[in-house]
Amino acid sequence: MSADLEFENLVKLYYGDLYRFGLSLTGNETDAADLTQETFYIWANKGHQLRNAASVKGWLFTTLHREFLKTCRRRNRFSHESVDERMEDLPNVPPDCAERADSQILLRILGEIAEDFRAPLVLYYMEDLSYNEIADILGLPLGTVQSRIARAKIQLLRRLSETNLPVAQVK
Amino acid sequence: MNTHDAKQILLLYRGPIDDSDPQFRAALDYAKSDPELSEWLRKQIKCYDTIRAKLRGIEPQPGLPEKIVRRRPIPFPHDWSRIAQLAAAIIISASFTAVLLKWSERRHAVAGAQEIVVTGEVLDMTCYIASNLSGPDHAECARVCIRSGEPAGIKARDGKVYLLTGEPGHSVNEELAEYAAQVVTIKGKQSVRDGFAQLQVEEIRKL
Repeated sequence: MSADLEFENLVKLYYGDLYRFGLSLTGNETDAADLTQETFYIWANKGHQLRNAASVKGWLFTTLHREFLKTCRRRNRFSHESVDERMEDLPNVPPDCAERADSQILLRILGEIAEDFRAPLVLYYMEDLSYNEIADILGLPLGTVQSRIARAKIQLLRRLSETNLPVAQVK
Repeated sequence: MNTHDAKQILLLYRGPIDDSDPQFRAALDYAKSDPELSEWLRKQIKCYDTIRAKLRGIEPQPGLPEKIVRRRPIPFPHDWSRIAQLAAAIIISASFTAVLLKWSERRHAVAGAQEIVVTGEVLDMTCYIASNLSGPDHAECARVCIRSGEPAGIKARDGKVYLLTGEPGHSVNEELAEYAAQVVTIKGKQSVRDGFAQLQVEEIRKL
């Protein structure tokens, strides 16, 4: 297979997942598209250094996340907020709260979660990755990743239950 | 384990994808024996699936893959070991070629030298080339110039001019100065460099 065709196939395979990851991180379609393009651009230049073909997906997600962090630093909007959700406060989530939220509301709420917590949460929801793979992509210890996902998930569910209109009003 | 501990663990449980993860086994077993926890877990998983489906349902911008492919840079693998190998090969090849050319040049100079006899006037080449001066009227100047080391030459009867040289490292100017502007016969080895004829003097005979 030629290098061009190989590249095109790789783009077809992963551009959607990378775009959605980028959109969940940035909350902005243009920024998400830029991050996705930048990730494949870096792959075209450096991808040949990757020895293990099985870790291509992880490499792409790691690269996109790094580029996102760089963008945050450049724009000086890196959030240092922590998610103040204690594990004791497990929410009693209405079963249909997620069903009543559309993807735009989900993205908006994700955008309100501190970046350190948002990236692991997005990978937890969107990709079929094990916790070890998420930890590898983000370069964090497994325990930190799980703790952040749990706290961010509680915050997401709590905000979802607060944000959604009651069923009666929706109808 | 109690219900609270199990909930904390199962908050991260996503369904079949996590079934092989041993950290969930004990909590899942506990949930089987607790109907209330089991129901909570069912709702958690359903909620997870719903959020996942909504996030995954987001469609990327149209034309994005084509844009990515178009913007692809021409890959240049920076394999420094290969670049170093290539550079070494070029240097070795260039050195070898230079040595070969030098050797060939020397070989050609010796092998190509033909012994000839030329009869003609001994010239002071500087004055001849620059000012077209020769002949008896210019004899004294030619003698001084040749003796002082200016190049000497001989103009054959057919009009061809040769630069006169000695053996490498030996000047014949002192000897030639005595015959400045006179007609002599010189036997020597003829060679050509860059189109310029030269004669390496072996013997001079005055006519």
